Amino acid sequence: MRIFSAALLLLLGGSLLQAADTYYLTIAGLGGEQEYEQRFAGWASDFDKILKGEPNAHITTLSGAQATRANIEAKMGEIAKQAKAEDSFVLFLIGHGTYDENEYKFNIPGPDISATQLGVLLDKIPAKQAIIDMSSASGGITPILQRPKRVIVTATKSGTEKNATVFARYFVEALRDPSADADKNEIITVLEAFRYAEGKTAKFYDELKRLSTEHPLIEDTGKGDGVKSATVENGQGIVAGRFALLHTGSAVAIANNPEKQKLLKQKEDIEQQIDELKYRKASMSVPDYRGQLSKLLVELAKTQEALDK
Amino acid sequence: MTMRLFWGVILAGPLFAQLPEPVAKCQALLHHGDPGTKACYQALIRSTDSLAQAEGLWHTGDYKSANELFRALTKSREKDPVSRVRWGRMFLERGQAPDAKAEFDGALKLNPDYAPALLGAAIVAGEQFEGAAIKNAEKALKADPKLYEAEEVIARVQLEDNSPAKAAEAAQRALTISPEALDAMAILASIDLLNDKRDSPWFAKALAVNPSYGNAYAIAAHFFMINRRYEEGIAQFRKALQLDPNLPAARSALGIALMQLGYEEEARKELETTYNGGYQNLETVNSLRLMDTYKDYVKFKTPRTILMLHKKEADLLKLYFQPEFERALTAYDQKYKFKLSKPVQLEVYPNHDDFAVRTLGVPGLGILGVTFGYVVAMDSPSARPPGQWHWAATMWHELSHVYVLEMTNHKVPRWFTEGLAVYEETAASPDWGDRLDPGTISAIKGKKLLPVAELDRGFVHPTYPEQVTVSYYQGGQICTFIKEKWGYDKLVSMIHDFGASLTTPQVIEKEFDLKPEEFDRQFNAWHDPRVKNQVEHYDDWRKRLRDMGTLMKDKKWDEAIKEGEAIRDFYPEYVEMNSVYERLSEAHAGKGDKTKALAELERYSKLGGRSPESLKQLSEMQLEQGRKKDAAATLERLNFIYVEDESVHQRLGALHMDLNNPAGAVREYQAVLAGKPLDPASAHFGLALAFKATNRVGDAKEEVISALEAAPGFKPAQKLLLELSAKE
Repeated sequence: MRIFSAALLLLLGGSLLQAADTYYLTIAGLGGEQEYEQRFAGWASDFDKILKGEPNAHITTLSGAQATRANIEAKMGEIAKQAKAEDSFVLFLIGHGTYDENEYKFNIPGPDISATQLGVLLDKIPAKQAIIDMSSASGGITPILQRPKRVIVTATKSGTEKNATVFARYFVEALRDPSADADKNEIITVLEAFRYAEGKTAKFYDELKRLSTEHPLIEDTGKGDGVKSATVENGQGIVAGRFALLHTGSAVAIANNPEKQKLLKQKEDIEQQIDELKYRKASMSVPDYRGQLSKLLVELAKTQEALDK
Repeated sequence: MTMRLFWGVILAGPLFAQLPEPVAKCQALLHHGDPGTKACYQALIRSTDSLAQAEGLWHTGDYKSANELFRALTKSREKDPVSRVRWGRMFLERGQAPDAKAEFDGALKLNPDYAPALLGAAIVAGEQFEGAAIKNAEKALKADPKLYEAEEVIARVQLEDNSPAKAAEAAQRALTISPEALDAMAILASIDLLNDKRDSPWFAKALAVNPSYGNAYAIAAHFFMINRRYEEGIAQFRKALQLDPNLPAARSALGIALMQLGYEEEARKELETTYNGGYQNLETVNSLRLMDTYKDYVKFKTPRTILMLHKKEADLLKLYFQPEFERALTAYDQKYKFKLSKPVQLEVYPNHDDFAVRTLGVPGLGILGVTFGYVVAMDSPSARPPGQWHWAATMWHELSHVYVLEMTNHKVPRWFTEGLAVYEETAASPDWGDRLDPGTISAIKGKKLLPVAELDRGFVHPTYPEQVTVSYYQGGQICTFIKEKWGYDKLVSMIHDFGASLTTPQVIEKEFDLKPEEFDRQFNAWHDPRVKNQVEHYDDWRKRLRDMGTLMKDKKWDEAIKEGEAIRDFYPEYVEMNSVYERLSEAHAGKGDKTKALAELERYSKLGGRSPESLKQLSEMQLEQGRKKDAAATLERLNFIYVEDESVHQRLGALHMDLNNPAGAVREYQAVLAGKPLDPASAHFGLALAFKATNRVGDAKEEVISALEAAPGFKPAQKLLLELSAKE
């Protein structure tokens, strides 16, 4: 994660800590069977509960009978009016999806909603966007919805993976499990949550010795296919790595405190030096690298200690 | 190890009458190893008789053309079983038992009493160690009393069942029918060698009939191999090939035997020679493929152990396998009062099919571990779904074999070495080892347990699907009975008796002063009351367990609990899927009674329950009650079942820290890291704390730097770094 945080944040002029509003819309579609109805509604409710404590959050959940196309259009229209460019919008889709070679559809009561229809609604929302589609066949959504700087996470690699998915279970878990915050900065980004859920999903099938019927992908460049692993080489994950989904600590409060700005700047400088050092790691001897790293980490720890006072 | 090297080459006697006369003439030359055999078969290729042509092509090595001709023949002679049987025999010779079986079955559809087809079916069943071998051979003899080959099949099966007297009788009957029955002579020679005679006059007699009859030694090799006398088997294979280098099946078997014993270079050479010579049966191909993957394994050596692990899981498994490996060897040194003469190699395969190929040359094997002298191969915990088996019990089981085989010079009946190994699993820890399973209860109910003197039959030629499992159980119970009645030292004495070449009846008489029949009677008198409850209630238990499942589904907790408590002790050993204990625990938890829910899972665990989810739940419940030590013990137990669960190691690491056991915590956090966790920073940090607690400050600092390398903003790690840096 670090490679996408300090250095790239500075490069991109953004910060995970900026105080702006986040609009969360969770839609739990039709289950078809009681077991799935309960499962989908349960996950949606879990998102709802977890996000409740998030600062500056506007949370809406449309579940079961409420998840009609009219309600979705109305809510997204409302968000389009309220949200500003610096705000964030997160759409969680939980349920069954279908794909017919051309178009992905998300199953809801009444007429299903297609990816194209969702795209029209999304394009009207000025905020930064993350679409987390955890439905079956969700891979089919990427070619239709992808835009530069829009993060798209799907439970499946294509529209042809049509079995019910477990990815949503682990995406919810990512927002609960502190270990999902891999860089321990008290912010779980879309990329961190994706990595956590993708890893757990793969392990689920591996442990049961079952052929995997879902292969989660992430795409945030606006072109090409989604990837399983976001890396510097494939260029994926830069936007997702700075897209905060959940704050788990005091980072926001510190960021908003004017008295701490100098220390905060110092901290970001050290973090940048650490990132630069890591880039040079392969060309350095191990003792040299570890020595320099240790020195910077001690400096960073002291700065953080001062920030926390 | 299969048997195909022995059959399909020699055919003499009555069947000749059913083959064209020129073919019969060539067969006779072949049977005698006559130098003119090749020319004879070459002449057949020019025959106007298609069957003779096919035989000529077959025996001159043009298998492809022979195959095509046989196929055409079976079409043009739809009602004729002869060509089908001959085609089947060619398949058998080429190591294609399923194809052979199809042709024999086809012939039997045309004529159910066709003796050569019945014989073919008997040979195939024998190759696959199926109980039908003798039945089919007897049918063949009934159809044609002069079919000596059928007697040879019976002799072979009897000797595989460790019944040499019956085997010798059948071989003698074959020789009465045909004094030139070569395989019968080879079986009699094998009996002599198995009885530790250096040589046998039967070899000379066989070679007098056919001076290049290498199969005589290959047959002896086979019997050494199935009796786990691997080195002797390899020596016989070498003799066979020296006499007749053109025995590809024997060469393939030699290559596999060498691979099994860890002679990798020589194994590869023999297998490649076999493959390049056109003999590309499954065993040869699979073994070569497996050997190609050896580069992906890493070996860890100590003075008495060689642990071979796949690179992808070596860091994790080594943490648990190495200490358990050493612990088992130390325990057995003392129990058997015996020191092994060289290091034991333990190979652990994450892909079950690789393990199966390593073991038999073919995938699909249903067992978990196999011992070849000083080499043990077993499944990795990751090779099967979590909770299906107990890897440590398997390791102890196999390592017991290493000692028993070595102490007896590999002269031990299968029932005893397996029975003792089963006994040792539970002796190592009462919650290890397999429990009395439903299939065994059915067998006991159907009075299918075998007399001790015949118990090997249950392992080698099972007559019903569960018989191998039942025989393991029975062997284990017999050893438990002996230990309880006469003491453990008697079991050790028995090992030495078998090493002195005594038979099972002789050992029983010597150690217990009992005839085998009386031993069986006493065993049954001891065993029957132990399983009476389970046997009597099994059907009722089964039905009511199903009913309980329905009540659970409907969340009728009170009724489910009433039913569960009523049936739980009908069959207390049942700790597999949907056990009464797990259901009762769920029902109590459903009612909010955590204490009773916990108590049921504790019963489950104590009796050997292996579901990782249930054990994790138990540990959580114990923790909720503040019983950290018990919670840690439960997770330690789970480590012997499944080691791939990162969350277990994370939790156990924290528990060990709380319980002031930093050494245990070090191992657990190392396990987390070895599993390439999603959260490496936390794992490095946990390990740093554990190192710090063991006063390994330098290691602690390295780990905390690694934690912060992954997550520079990780505050607890930052604090620790400052603390450790201040100490410098």
